[in-house]
Amino acid sequence: MIARVEIHPGRYHDSVRLMQASKALQNVEGVTDALVAMATELNLSLLADMGFDMDAVADAGPNDLVLALRAENEGAIATAHLVLDDALTHKAAPSGGLDAPDPKTVGSAAAVGDANIALLSVPGEHAFVEAMEALESGRHVMIFSDNVPIEQEIILKTYGGDHGLLVMGPDCGTTIVNGIGLGFANAVQPGSVSMVGASGTGIQQMCALLDDAGIGVRHALGTGSRDLSEDVGAASTLQALQALDEDPATDLIAVISKPPAAPIAEKVRRAAETCGKPVVITFMGERTLEEGAGDVLAALGKPPAQYGSWPAANEDHRPGSVRGLFSGGTLSSEAQFVVAPILGEVGSREGGEGHTFVDYGDDEYTQGRAHPMIDQTVRIERLSAAARDETVGVILMDVVLGYGANANPATELAPFIEQAVTAGAAVVVSLCGTRGDPQGRDAQAEILNRAGASVFLSNAAAAREVARLATARTSA
Amino acid sequence: MTARAVQARSASVPIRVPAVASLALKRLFSPGDVNATVLGASSHAVWLLAGGEVVVVSTRDATRLPNSVEVAARSGAGLFDSVTHGESVVVGRNALEFGSFIVELVRWWDPRPALPSASISDVASAIRGLPHTVPAINSGVLRSALAAGSPDHLVGASAGLLGRGPGLTPEGDDVLAGALAAIRTLGTALGSRPALAMLDASQAALVDAANDRTTTFSAALISCAARGEVAAPAGIFLRALAGRGHVGSSHRDLLRVGHTSGPALAAGIVLGALSLIEPHATPNGGVQ
Amino acid sequence: MSDLSNLLDTEPVVATAGTDLLAESIEQQGAEVIRTDWRPPEAGTEAALAALAADGRNTKANETAVARMLAVRPQFVDVSVARDVFPDMTPRTFFHAGPPLTWDRASGPMRGAIIGAMMYEGLADGPEDAEAKAMRGEIDLSPCHHHGAVGPMAGVTSPSMPVAVVADGAGDGVAYSTLNEGLGKVLRYGAFAPEAIDRLHWMDAVLGPVLSAVLQSRGPIDLQSLIAQALQMGDDGHNRNRAVTSLFLRELGGALVDGADAPVDQRADVFRFIDGNDHFMLNLVMAAGKLGSDAASDVPASSLVTVMARNGTDFGIRLSGTGDEWFVAPAPPVDGLYLGSFTEEDASPDIGDSTITETVGLGGFAMAAAPAIVGFVGGTAAGAVRRTLAMYEITLAEHPMYQIPMLEFRGTPVGIDAARVVRTGVLPQINTGVAGKVPGTGMVGAGLVEAPMECFAQAIRALAATLD
Repeated sequence: MIARVEIHPGRYHDSVRLMQASKALQNVEGVTDALVAMATELNLSLLADMGFDMDAVADAGPNDLVLALRAENEGAIATAHLVLDDALTHKAAPSGGLDAPDPKTVGSAAAVGDANIALLSVPGEHAFVEAMEALESGRHVMIFSDNVPIEQEIILKTYGGDHGLLVMGPDCGTTIVNGIGLGFANAVQPGSVSMVGASGTGIQQMCALLDDAGIGVRHALGTGSRDLSEDVGAASTLQALQALDEDPATDLIAVISKPPAAPIAEKVRRAAETCGKPVVITFMGERTLEEGAGDVLAALGKPPAQYGSWPAANEDHRPGSVRGLFSGGTLSSEAQFVVAPILGEVGSREGGEGHTFVDYGDDEYTQGRAHPMIDQTVRIERLSAAARDETVGVILMDVVLGYGANANPATELAPFIEQAVTAGAAVVVSLCGTRGDPQGRDAQAEILNRAGASVFLSNAAAAREVARLATARTSA
Repeated sequence: MTARAVQARSASVPIRVPAVASLALKRLFSPGDVNATVLGASSHAVWLLAGGEVVVVSTRDATRLPNSVEVAARSGAGLFDSVTHGESVVVGRNALEFGSFIVELVRWWDPRPALPSASISDVASAIRGLPHTVPAINSGVLRSALAAGSPDHLVGASAGLLGRGPGLTPEGDDVLAGALAAIRTLGTALGSRPALAMLDASQAALVDAANDRTTTFSAALISCAARGEVAAPAGIFLRALAGRGHVGSSHRDLLRVGHTSGPALAAGIVLGALSLIEPHATPNGGVQ
Repeated sequence: MSDLSNLLDTEPVVATAGTDLLAESIEQQGAEVIRTDWRPPEAGTEAALAALAADGRNTKANETAVARMLAVRPQFVDVSVARDVFPDMTPRTFFHAGPPLTWDRASGPMRGAIIGAMMYEGLADGPEDAEAKAMRGEIDLSPCHHHGAVGPMAGVTSPSMPVAVVADGAGDGVAYSTLNEGLGKVLRYGAFAPEAIDRLHWMDAVLGPVLSAVLQSRGPIDLQSLIAQALQMGDDGHNRNRAVTSLFLRELGGALVDGADAPVDQRADVFRFIDGNDHFMLNLVMAAGKLGSDAASDVPASSLVTVMARNGTDFGIRLSGTGDEWFVAPAPPVDGLYLGSFTEEDASPDIGDSTITETVGLGGFAMAAAPAIVGFVGGTAAGAVRRTLAMYEITLAEHPMYQIPMLEFRGTPVGIDAARVVRTGVLPQINTGVAGKVPGTGMVGAGLVEAPMECFAQAIRALAATLD
């Protein structure tokens, strides 16, 4: 067995690309262990845990790339190097002829093609400088990154407000402009309903519900998760609301967020009242997105919708608590909101007794991993564990489709859902997706359903089903 | 999609290119395949005859037409280099299958520009700032017909314009299309019921006349125009006339389209817009 | 508040930085995305960069500073004597290239040049005497840059030397430089042999006065115009100066032949001297650069690099917004081609004020105009073009007058922004000659060198500290 540790100083790649590269290396014939990562403290400790010699990395810092390999022979090591080079080869950015070097900052990239939006997913501590540059060059900014200090968010939004530019974020996972999704977003039909949302998944769920009811979406402007805090004062929300009110292509505006502090909620309500178009506000935690969608339909003069569902073939399941395995906080909170009046207190941390809904998108579970909407490994482990856990009677999971998400989540989950159902648990899936999504919404639903899960396009409906299953079994 | 990407693929594996299609073509992309024929191809566009309709498949740097499918590639990538006149193309639910590449529909766009509600003075002041552009072709009869507000006169005037002048879309066609589009879109924004009624009453006859007198391609664009479906630069200009956007720069951008098309469309739009804001004579001679 | 119409009314065109997944998913929807080859900034500068971005003055300050740099109109107006133009020059003062330096730290060529200059000024009987006096501190050393002057290689400037006077036709500024001695055993490469010193005497007795007379006769020479033309003839303004020197000689033209008030044999000698030195105009190009550099100085909050200079030991830079402060780091090794049997072993560390040319959009920043230079500094012609293209990433403007034909007459990248250097990791590219480390060896090669990151990191931190 040969071990090799190499430092490549000053070579930087984003964490997702490196994780994909690590995976590719692990698949090389003859390689038993592989890690390629930036030499952060966390990754170096991972390296130590894997039993590699730490002397080689003594001088490595966070801007250095470290490659660690354990393989059966030199041939495997050589192959691994080739695979690594291929995995890290940068995709050529469009150049203005004459082999121009790739732009190094978002400001110079935006100038190359006259971009009107800069989309930033660099580490949070570096997002501010890029965002300011983008704003100063007249671009709107979407900051997907989180861990951006609130003082910086305020500076950005103040500048944006003064210059007629929208700052979407930080921690903005979803935006749709003229039907094109940025971040995690679902494929929408052209329409005249627009949204403003502080929750990306909330936007996604609303798009999914309206899509199933045949309603298209024009714009969905993400504001970032902290926009409705007292410090930020709903700056982007109010700016977006006003712009959508003046947008000739928008006929109705839906506002989505978790419940803000009372003064901010009041500010938003007052602004909504001054709009010339109907505004439907859904503060999740006061009501569900399903209810909000209902108001949208009513305002459009449409009949109430019955959102698609695929009931499980077999309703029998063992008694026990409900375990929710969520990929994000929004749908988890909404599900808790729905079931709590019926089932009582729902815990949010693993290892508790009784009903537990855990958000696996939380930092705690995503160290060294891609987001659970992309990488389902952790949730699959927890699903298997729940299947084996006789105290669990009902399992609830969200599966979010759309651009940016896992290419085939249903197929990955299916065998483990089958296991769980065979073991006696009921599995309910809240499938958030639109008809046009690249994964194929209905095909995904059918795969999950055939594996034994009951599938609901409405998260609230999925939650109600979970409450029904849990209480039905209790009273049996 | 870059030129290098296009060349790098082997001939046996068709390249898949994402594309956005006009909602006006929705009917065409339905379950069940339709066979289409290539009428012509250039580096910027392929014209297809599919189910009796003309469909344009164009690149990102070509003008986006109301009956087009726009691929996510620039003309420099050479995607259409292998396409030949008379070639067969299969039009499926979400795709156009050419020999060496497949165009995949991933999105739709609405060729009807979204205009804000406008007032006559908004439109009047927008037009006032424009340079005076006179198309080579004589549009006086059209102007009178619009002033009169009579469907019959409008159809009559169109006969004098259809098929006249140079271009793939003859200049006369473009002037007419611009005027019709202006009446449909600005007329709606202004709430000009008489003008819209005139257009509704003459729409079928106009489309027939177009089919008789001019190219299939151009007739399709006139049919689109009567419904308010226009090329993207024309849509931006119409929206600016209604008060949203920059009139001067959108006018300049429209003038740059095609060889005579852009100026003719612009002139037609202005003509149509003027007819909406100027008081016109009723058939019995009074003024409305 | 505005209507966000430039966001809502078109399909988005997105510039991305970070995870490629997000760019890919935009492309999957058939929309346009421009990717960034992003990397984190230089470690230790994050807080300073954030402070600069938050402050808000930096962008405007840079615009002001670079505009001032580009507004100067350098005119070669006269040749004077150093003691007459520098108020701070005493009989024992010796200016030198680069940031401040003490004798004990000076490299071989620098010491050789100081020794030679001391002998030229009659302050020492010979090399050992000169060295002993220098070690005892009997002379004053001061950077040329502190006195509105620049000098190539060792850049040693002493009281009796003739200096070119370059004045701003659009303002009050003046800049100075010694006159170029040519190649071989010359003072600026550290030679103190009799031939080097004799030449210096000839320059102050004949070259200086004749040039002065010619300029009085025909009036000032517009340097920017000559440089702009020369760039379109294959010069880069730093290492290739044949075209600009040829054009200069034509400018002297008639006045040199007759008209100038000087003996005819002296005028002939001057002609032959300049004719035989392809680098004669380097010093004038440098002085023109110094004029722009000084004009751009002292704009608060500006991260524009006004000076890059080397003294044979250290590489130093200055920023517009940090006043007179120097930010230094050890001079890096040159990646180059060596003449004859010379190797890196023979090389002295990078030396000279000639990087003033890169600071104003010439030299390494104009290599694409002078691809033939690769025969001199190594690399490929395509590589030369790429190096210039890379510089647009770290500069604030494109030169209005210095244009590169093969880039469709795009202006050269000018106005280095230290903040962008630190953010992107792209370092200023310099074409340079290499001096032999043994004094008096002369040129041993030429090549490419990058300014050291450490200078820019220090400078940005210092600039951020001025913001409070």
